[in-house]
Amino acid sequence: MTTKTQKSQLSSAASNEVIIEISKMNKWYGDFHVLKDINLNVHQGERIVVCGPSGSGKSTLIRCINALEEHQEGEIIVDGILLGKNLKNLSHIRTEVGMVFQNFNLFPHLTILENLTLGPIWVRKMGKAEAKETAMKYLERVKIPEQADKYPGQISGGQQQRVAIARSLCMNPKIMLFDEPTSALDPEMIKEVLDVMVDLAETGMTMIVVTHEMGFAKTIADEVIFMDEGDIVERNNPHDFFGKPEHERTKQFLSQIL
Amino acid sequence: MAIVTAQKTPDRQPPLSETSIIGWMQKNLFSSITNTILTVITLYIVYLTVKGIYIWGFADATFVAENRRECYNNSLTGACWAGVIDWMDNIMYGRYPRDELWRINAGGILVVLWMAPLWMSKVKGKIFIGISVVMLYPFLAGYLFSGGSKGLFMQVMVSGAIVAFIANMLNMIIGLTKNQSLVQFLLRIFNQNNASDKTQRNVILGIMIISFLAIFLWQISFNLEKVGWTQWGGLFLTLVIAGVGIAASMPLGVILALGRRSRLPVVRVLSTSFIEIFRSVPLITVLFMATTMFPLFMPDGFVLNKLVQVIIAVILFNACYMAENVRAGLQAIPKGQFEGAHTIGLGYWGTMGLIVMPQALKHMIPNIVGNFIGLLKNSTLVSIIGLFDILLMLRSISRDVPWLGLHREPLIFGAVLFFILCFSMSKYSRHLEKKLSTDNKS
Repeated sequence: MTTKTQKSQLSSAASNEVIIEISKMNKWYGDFHVLKDINLNVHQGERIVVCGPSGSGKSTLIRCINALEEHQEGEIIVDGILLGKNLKNLSHIRTEVGMVFQNFNLFPHLTILENLTLGPIWVRKMGKAEAKETAMKYLERVKIPEQADKYPGQISGGQQQRVAIARSLCMNPKIMLFDEPTSALDPEMIKEVLDVMVDLAETGMTMIVVTHEMGFAKTIADEVIFMDEGDIVERNNPHDFFGKPEHERTKQFLSQIL
Repeated sequence: MAIVTAQKTPDRQPPLSETSIIGWMQKNLFSSITNTILTVITLYIVYLTVKGIYIWGFADATFVAENRRECYNNSLTGACWAGVIDWMDNIMYGRYPRDELWRINAGGILVVLWMAPLWMSKVKGKIFIGISVVMLYPFLAGYLFSGGSKGLFMQVMVSGAIVAFIANMLNMIIGLTKNQSLVQFLLRIFNQNNASDKTQRNVILGIMIISFLAIFLWQISFNLEKVGWTQWGGLFLTLVIAGVGIAASMPLGVILALGRRSRLPVVRVLSTSFIEIFRSVPLITVLFMATTMFPLFMPDGFVLNKLVQVIIAVILFNACYMAENVRAGLQAIPKGQFEGAHTIGLGYWGTMGLIVMPQALKHMIPNIVGNFIGLLKNSTLVSIIGLFDILLMLRSISRDVPWLGLHREPLIFGAVLFFILCFSMSKYSRHLEKKLSTDNKS
């Protein structure tokens, strides 16, 4: 087997610098307590995989990190900036934190290339030629430069997701969040997306990935977090997490998914 | 038994019913006895109708006559188009001075020429053309139609519009012949096409300022004769009201729709109540309010002419319908698009302007055009408050002494005219929908 996901564990690129600091964070949807007293520190270059049953709050957690969802209690500090109502901070955070969604969320009325250059041109105020150059560089990195002039509706799901990754990378973010990036894909397309993510991990990007792909978690994760009912139940390196899970709920979850 | 067919089955011609007209007719018109009877009856009714219209409207009709008496002498069963033809100038231009009609025609030709490049694929800079036609043309046309002495503001706007029009035409010609934009062409002439961005900008700016000053000095020397708005009328007045109404209600509608979806409660409540109030009142009431009530709230001595009041009323009324169309379009955009836009750092206006609106407008085209058609037809209501629009002009024919009692022909003529205008709008919107949806298969 030559797939990258089957390769042995990548060496860690984590440094000592803390880039995401979450303390005592709580979130409710109406009466429903989604996240309960979450404490989590992520270091620069660290790669974290979050797993757990559906409804456990794992997507909500990463959506809080780039302020797509508002949290009600506690603190989230990303790259030294405290998340809150300050709109200027908000747009700053969003340009520093890239996010990839389950449903890609590409802009269907723009070509692939325009999808990629939109952020650099309008938010980063980059020149058009430079933005195009950057976009082509990242399209080559996700291995679909030949699709640049097509519309999202004309390419496959796997290709769309790779474009979505490239779109986030064009903003040159410090952190990348992945919200179940392969869940909406056909099985034969999952690998091409995971390969791109492994490539990205090799460059030392800080990544938080919500996924059910345990093979992927074993390959790239520095740490695996298991969430259930709004709690972080267990947090460990992948070797120990999969080898000897400590908590009863983790064992149960793993026995169902592996 | 594992192999079902060893050879590939060759393609065959489809049956006759799928390809030929006779086959289609057999299948759809004469498939059974009942179907055949229905077809024959329907064809007979169509024949009678067309024959009746033809005899009344063409075969027996009178096209040249001095008055209605002559029409009757010619034929009792045919239409009397002579009255409509005699009144044609009135129907088109109202009581606009006959020597000044060229100004209206020029205004019409100007807007057609101005917008023509928008449909030419070779011409560049379409955004500027679109913006200039909305921002500058109304001033030029407004002055052309009303005349009088220009204030400083009008002088500036008219000169700007003339410069923009000339630039637009040159841009079109250069685009069609040399396949480049006016800016590129000018830079080549002045040998600046390799200069830095800043010098290039200065050269273009310089050319613009010089031509603006030249036009400005030239236009001081003449003034058009003043034509009061009371002399405007006919199809011209209808198109002015509908055109201004369409052009202004669109942006206002977008703003109201955004306001209604705003997170700020004050903005939301204000927009919602504005929309709901105007939508639940008939247009004719709004028009009466605008012309009779509005002046009561104005300070003494402040006189707004009736035409402006009517146009404002039409804009506000239509903007509310437009706002609801826009809101429907906005709601069709999935939440993921907003989130996608947020994650690349776009703010509210960036998200709306670059991501949401372009997609939403595409969904809204049928409704918006439907709204435009409604506005064009509704604008005939202004005849009730005494503006001599096309409807009132058509009805006046029957009160003109030589054509006394001639009701039917003018109204039928008006109906056909409106049908042509509205049907072409509707056809164009279908075309636009198709074009936009093939650009973008999703």
